[in-house]
Amino acid sequence: MRTLSWVYLGAIFTFILLPVVVLVIFSFQDGRLPVPPFKGATLKWYAKILGDRDLMDALVNSMMVAILSSLVAVTLGFLAASGLARAALPGSALMRGLLIAPMTVSYLIIGLGLLQMFNQVGIRPSLLATGIGHVVINLPLCFAILYAAIGEHQKSALQAARDLGAREWQVLWHVAAPMLAPSLAAAFFLSFTFSWDEFIIAFLLTRFDVTLPVEIWSMLRSGLSPATNAVGSLVFLVSVAVVVTLELTLFRKGSK
Amino acid sequence: MTAEVQIRSVSHRFQSFTALEGIDLEIAAGEFIVLLGPSGCGKTTLLSIIGGFLTPSEGEVLIGGRDMTRVAPKDRPTTTMFQDYALFPHMNLRDNVAFGLRMRGVGRKARHDRALEMLEMVGLAAFAARKPHALSGGQRQRVALARALAVEPDVLLLDEPLGALDLKLRRQMQDELKNIQRKVGTTFIHVTHDQEEAMAIADRIVVMNRGHIEHFGTPEDVYLRPRTLFSADFMGEMNRIPVRREGGTSISPLGPLPFDLGEGLLCLRPENIGFDGSFSMGRARLQEVAFFGTHHRCHFVPLKAPDLTLTVNLPQGAHPAPGAEVELFGRDPVLLSEDV
Repeated sequence: MRTLSWVYLGAIFTFILLPVVVLVIFSFQDGRLPVPPFKGATLKWYAKILGDRDLMDALVNSMMVAILSSLVAVTLGFLAASGLARAALPGSALMRGLLIAPMTVSYLIIGLGLLQMFNQVGIRPSLLATGIGHVVINLPLCFAILYAAIGEHQKSALQAARDLGAREWQVLWHVAAPMLAPSLAAAFFLSFTFSWDEFIIAFLLTRFDVTLPVEIWSMLRSGLSPATNAVGSLVFLVSVAVVVTLELTLFRKGSK
Repeated sequence: MTAEVQIRSVSHRFQSFTALEGIDLEIAAGEFIVLLGPSGCGKTTLLSIIGGFLTPSEGEVLIGGRDMTRVAPKDRPTTTMFQDYALFPHMNLRDNVAFGLRMRGVGRKARHDRALEMLEMVGLAAFAARKPHALSGGQRQRVALARALAVEPDVLLLDEPLGALDLKLRRQMQDELKNIQRKVGTTFIHVTHDQEEAMAIADRIVVMNRGHIEHFGTPEDVYLRPRTLFSADFMGEMNRIPVRREGGTSISPLGPLPFDLGEGLLCLRPENIGFDGSFSMGRARLQEVAFFGTHHRCHFVPLKAPDLTLTVNLPQGAHPAPGAEVELFGRDPVLLSEDV
């Protein structure tokens, strides 16, 4: 029985991780195609992509869009959650529902909607437009995480702060934000990874400056190459780094 | 820093539920007032209205003579000590206590000095650098008190602050609260449902029931000379003997009384019945007795009225035997009418 569980565990991890492992292995392929047989290890594809100006520009763009859009999404989500947790307004439930609703809509639909709306108001497809799109998809997530994190204990501490003479921004800055720091960080990092990987909205809303997933997609159109594997490995490395950071800092703290 | 508080015909409704109805209250500067009543009586609502967390549907609140009815909590000369302490978990004790001063723009050095002084007062100066989670319930309580008093409020509001403490610690904190109140002179308004706590600390007690005030007076007043049956019962055990009037004398089931109070219910505290007193209650048979440490709690059945049972607390020394027939005497009787 015990052996069987270990076998099962091994099988499931193989199933989940095998594609990634293959991708990473063939990024070192000393040949023109990232397919078996493995012909020996080389770092030349990494050298190639790191020397590729367009790709590196896209990487920087992605990083900027991810960081800025996540900051905006977390800030807006924090303000909305604090406000709705503070007072029971008529229609609070409706407002919460509306804030979370975009989660249920596919990225493709959101992207198309934004594309049409941006056309109307004259915002050209750009990194800014993509960033706004990423705020749209990440705000519901940030709101949901933060709203759930505000419990009775927080509420009475906020009330105490007001009672002691704090203005509303002081309450948020000195008490609410520090008390919610773990949730704020979790919301930020999740938003970051979602924005970092996001393709459809970025594809629809960028034109000249593109994000990394869009650049990779255009590389793929010219056929398979170990270089695309190398880029994929880099993207994966960043995501893993974020998740590991989260795991080591926030989640460990929470489980103490 | 202290101020008087006036509540003028305050009513408050939550949707269709009337939490407070026509409350009038004059609290003098420097008084220790306890709002006492069962849950749902409106005492916490009244406290929230004084603190500014609720705006009353009707009426006004004056603190130090100024109308505060619509002033936000942060701009009132009041602070609140919350039931769950509501300390800031991410700040050490010094910063917790100094928070109000920081919000008032007091410089770092001055506010830290003041915070340490306040922590000194509650006996926690040695823990200034600790975070609240490293403290016990009683210690958190003291920090909350120090934090609320650090800004020198005119009025301190205490929302059942001792509710979560065990009995021994509660008694100890009551004494401490009373001491600190005398030292700082601030008007304290304290909410509780524990009548012993109320009597132990209050200068005056406001007994509340179903949104109105039943009795407002000193602990002695409220306990010994209750104005209504509700406050008589709420303050402690009470024997009730129906009394009617016949030709200028009051008649009870125990026989005619030597005084004329009128008609209603004759109320006697268990400790106000005994082997001596101001009037005879006739002979009675001791049915049961239990030793409570400070007294013997006895149930007597009057010979003249076998369907009545009198609860009598006799002093430790007196050792009655069950079945014994003795003459009982009463003192400090209060007559209350039934319908109020």
